[in-house]
Amino acid sequence: MTATTPTPADLPAQPAAHGHGHGDHTLTGFVIFLLSESVIFLALFAGYAIYKTSSPLWLPPGVEGLEVAMPLRFTVVLVSSSGVIYLAERALHRGRLGEFRAWWLLTMAMGTVFLVGQGLEWAGLPFGLGDGVYGASFYLLTGFHGLHVLTGVLLMGLMLARSFRPGNYDAGSVGVTAVSLFWHFVDVIWVVLFVLIYVWQR
Amino acid sequence: MTSTAPAPAPSFDPRVLKAPHPVPGAPNNWRRFLSFNTDAKVIGLQYMITSLFFLLVGGLLSMIMRGELITPAADLVDPTVYNGLYTMHGTVMLFLFLFPILNGFNNLLIPPMIGAPDMAFPRLNAAAFWMVPVFGVILMASFLVPGGPSGAGWWAYPPQSIQNPLGHFLNGQFLWILAVALSGISSIMGAVNFITTIIRMRAPGMGWFRMPIFCWTAVAAQAIQLIGLPVLTAGAVLLLFDLSFGTSFYRPEGGGDPMLYQHFFWFYSHPAVYVMVLPVFGIFSELFPVYARKPLFGYHVVAIASFAITFLSLIVWVHHMFYSGTPQWMRNLFMVTTMLIAVPTGIKVFAWIGTLWGGKLRLTTAMLFCLGGVFNFIFAGITGIMLATVPVDIHVGNTYFVVGHFHTVIFSTITYGVFAGIYHWFPKFTGRMMYEGLGKLHFVLTFIGSQLTFLPMHAAGLLGMPRRVASYDPEFAFANVLASLGAFLLGVATIPFLLNLVSSWVRGEKAPPNPWHAIGLEWLLPSPPPAENFEDDVPTVISGPYGYGLGRPLVEDEQRYVAKAASAASAATGGA
Amino acid sequence: MTTASPSPGRSPRLWGVLLVLLAVLADLAASFWMAAASHHWLPVPASAAAAPVDNLFALEVGIGSFIFFGCSGVMLWTLLFNRAPKYDLDNGDPIEGNLKLEIVWTLIPLVIVMLIAWKAIDVSTTLSTLGGKVRVTGGHGAMHGAEGPAAALEAADDPAAAEPIEVIGRQWSWEFIYPNGVHSSELHLPEGQRSYLRLSATDVIHGFFVPAFRLKQDLIPGSVIDYSLIPTRAGRYRLRDSMFSGGYFSSNQTDVVVEPPEQYAAWLEQALAQPLRPAANAATDLYAQRLARGDRGWATVPPAPPPLVHVSADPAASHEG
Ligand code: HEA
Ligand code: HEA
Ligand code: CUA
Ligand SMILES: [Cu+2]
Repeated sequence: MTATTPTPADLPAQPAAHGHGHGDHTLTGFVIFLLSESVIFLALFAGYAIYKTSSPLWLPPGVEGLEVAMPLRFTVVLVSSSGVIYLAERALHRGRLGEFRAWWLLTMAMGTVFLVGQGLEWAGLPFGLGDGVYGASFYLLTGFHGLHVLTGVLLMGLMLARSFRPGNYDAGSVGVTAVSLFWHFVDVIWVVLFVLIYVWQR
Repeated sequence: MTSTAPAPAPSFDPRVLKAPHPVPGAPNNWRRFLSFNTDAKVIGLQYMITSLFFLLVGGLLSMIMRGELITPAADLVDPTVYNGLYTMHGTVMLFLFLFPILNGFNNLLIPPMIGAPDMAFPRLNAAAFWMVPVFGVILMASFLVPGGPSGAGWWAYPPQSIQNPLGHFLNGQFLWILAVALSGISSIMGAVNFITTIIRMRAPGMGWFRMPIFCWTAVAAQAIQLIGLPVLTAGAVLLLFDLSFGTSFYRPEGGGDPMLYQHFFWFYSHPAVYVMVLPVFGIFSELFPVYARKPLFGYHVVAIASFAITFLSLIVWVHHMFYSGTPQWMRNLFMVTTMLIAVPTGIKVFAWIGTLWGGKLRLTTAMLFCLGGVFNFIFAGITGIMLATVPVDIHVGNTYFVVGHFHTVIFSTITYGVFAGIYHWFPKFTGRMMYEGLGKLHFVLTFIGSQLTFLPMHAAGLLGMPRRVASYDPEFAFANVLASLGAFLLGVATIPFLLNLVSSWVRGEKAPPNPWHAIGLEWLLPSPPPAENFEDDVPTVISGPYGYGLGRPLVEDEQRYVAKAASAASAATGGA
Repeated sequence: MTTASPSPGRSPRLWGVLLVLLAVLADLAASFWMAAASHHWLPVPASAAAAPVDNLFALEVGIGSFIFFGCSGVMLWTLLFNRAPKYDLDNGDPIEGNLKLEIVWTLIPLVIVMLIAWKAIDVSTTLSTLGGKVRVTGGHGAMHGAEGPAAALEAADDPAAAEPIEVIGRQWSWEFIYPNGVHSSELHLPEGQRSYLRLSATDVIHGFFVPAFRLKQDLIPGSVIDYSLIPTRAGRYRLRDSMFSGGYFSSNQTDVVVEPPEQYAAWLEQALAQPLRPAANAATDLYAQRLARGDRGWATVPPAPPPLVHVSADPAASHEG
């Protein structure tokens, strides 16, 4: 084998992409991180499914199940915010900074509405964290997801603040792309979670 | 053979590889090791020093354990203290010695090996490192809380681990979970960094199949971290809630399931053993060619086998639960998947032996540790296959046979590989040679000590001595006396090692850029390499690694890089 | 592959082949010897499960020795005959690989381990009729229980009459309750008959492990595990807790007494006549000593009170295996 002639497999990796700074690593790294993060949820979902199918004591005494209508509304808000954040990103790419901020702020607001809705639901539930595996997994799953929503909103706030720095996007807008990626991730997780907890009740 | 192929189109400007991470005001003396430095080489050494310290701590704990076990009765320490000792020994060794030291190697080796100036995320890198001392202190602090550290074993199986006898919120088990969780976060940060760096920052011309095996194994191992650690984290969060917030995920009284924890735990902790061993396979694959003066036998297959191991490692975890009430079909299934791991692993072992065959062996200290490590690994792999065999595991599971198996891998293979890597790359990263005489003494004592310590454990296990006991029946006394004496010998063996490290770093002979006549990008750099490795002048790789005896250059214009490194070295000596 | 240094003899090739043949024969002989010796590394075989397990183990020792001696023999050879002389800075033969060889050494281990696995599945199936049968109910039995063929088999030869012996694991004591109402902290079993055990744990996970039987099964709180085995050799053996269970785990051991059926029946009778009293228990003694010394040491839950038994285990009795 004459390894001195490059074969297709030996072609150089494309470090050319290095051109505009560190943005590309950031996205690569962030995607890798999200893949890993999704495994935590996968594990928790698997655990939930196992408890749901095998636990001899599931619903705590006196608990009938969860009300679906209200959470469904907040779900719609959260899921549609994924579209809104896309509009924000598009506006940024077209260089319309003002429009970007408006959509971005709206996304943040929708995320906040979702969080408030979740808080209200928690406050009105007849069971607590200590009420069997059911109560524990309900609060753990929704709480863990809620923590992600909160993180998303805070990160968006940071990006919003940065957008007022002159020349902030001259080197690209990786931060915005990463946050919006994270937001889509949080939404997808919620959809699965909603199906698991609210739809699959019997 | 000597003709250089046309360079791949210079599709990029190497200057941009120069990382724009100025380290304003970073001290350039030993104090930089105490600062938030973002240079991968500094971080690498920080990892190495921290983890070697914890090797001593973990070793000291094991010495006390072996002192307790030298007699059948629980006379040296209280049984509850013994439980805490072995729990902390296992935890310290895994999370504060082995994982960090391997990350030390990753930091030191990956950027120079692929011609990158630094890691992709230098700041994240520093943050990941500084979590190690933080959770190290947390774990050590658990010795001081009322009730002592966790005494639930490194598995921390509930319900035992969540019994919390004193009822305090701040207890040893709580701190243990906290430390392990922080360790997990630090490892994830590291994994993201290493994989991104290898994917995106390779020198021009370095395609995947021109990458050194160490980088292959690094990707394979770090991928496991990314997939496995989140599952452990999920399991640990539930454990924390049960321990501290009164939930009952794992309490049968509340409808919980203690077995679920075992699945969560082993889903990560089995693959974790390959996170530890894969980089050492990488080190063996780097070193055998150098010291046998031959190309690595079957490079492509060895590279790909790493990923076969990654994949298989994720589907074998139940072999730790054969006697837990696992149904027969599941046992058989996981027995078969476990045994399949012998195939890719065997490929590697045979490739190393093939590399030795007909070579010109140089028995440096590093080479001795490699040879000893592979020798021990074959033994440990075979006892691993015995453990994977369901009916045999039912007998020897949870006995000292298991302890013997895994120390033969984790100490007599992996730690040997770590030692080999230190002896091999020490000159590169400190600029000083180590003393071969002391090194060989270290090897001889370690080799004798490890056989004396860990072989008798297999015998005791076969006779039915359970692990994790502070006292035992007299029929096991003989094996345990041998094991204890061996362990003390291992303690003695660390003295020449420490002496060597310190004295050669302080006043060792100055190291040339390439003391072992090795082939690899890192050896084209001065010793120690400058902060950003090749800086603007990244070589273009034109052939695969390990071209020993093939007379082909590794990079375009190789002589220029050799000369440059040599002149940098003489400039350094001239200036000193 | 060529031999390292062709000797100056007339036909180096022939000598090479002979040498390899000799080495393989020596390896085989050593492996057979190891396999035969392996039976002495195990405790006395005292249950129907022991023989198949020991034979499987011997098979693995044989195969494993062959591989281990083979690989390390080749390494030793290179160490002796492929050393670079001092000051020789030359390289070895630049062999980069050999596809045929690589395929061979991928396939051979594959075949070997699959053979072992097949043999092991065979032994497991045998065991599920000879002892070590498991059925988990209660708790999360649905998920972890041995359903399917093994359970069906059990149902087939499970005489309804066979009421099980209750085996209860606690921190840190063993209690055995027999169908006739005898409570004991020492397990008595009839020789040559299938014994049915019902394993349960009240606090944490424990492990039922009798090395002489080659059997081990965890006791899981929240689950009831039906277990059966056939002791085949009279004698007194050690029963050890094999799953770490906290503070005084290491003293959670007792004895199993296997005796001829008549003797066993007599013991049951006799035992019932004894008064109930707290069993001798190492953990409670150790804990009392600890309290007397001022409760130093690291946290532990206090031992559960020793069970009230008709017959208490005798810590001084000597055991085999
Ligand atoms: C750290 C590294 C490490 C490595 C690499 C391994 C490698 C292997 N281990 Fe080990 N193992 C541990 C660390 C490791 N282990 C630890 C820490 C524990 C205990 C944890 C605890 O309980 O605390 C453990 C426990 C453990 C158990 C559980 C035992 C029990 O608790 O009852 C089992 C069971 O299957 C097992 C099997 C194996 C197998 C099959 C391999 C295989 O990967 C080995 C493959 C290698 C070879 C087979 C040799 C080379 C191959 C050839 C030369 C080819 C020809 C060979 C054949 C045809 C056989 N290990
Ligand atoms: C990287 C991992 C690693 C390493 C290197 C070791 C190394 C050693 N281990 Fe460890 N061990 C584990 C990981 C490791 N172990 C794990 C995971 C467990 C399971 C825990 C559990 O069951 O939960 C375990 C369990 C374990 C047991 C079983 C405990 C039990 O089940 O009851 C024993 C018993 O002998 C033991 C002994 C030793 C010995 C003698 C060494 C020797 O190789 C150590 C050699 C010593 C040194 C190299 C250092 C010498 C130090 C000095 C001379 C003191 C100087 C000190 C200062 C200046 C501070 N170990
Ligand atoms: Cu930093 Cu590329
Ligand atoms: Cu494993």
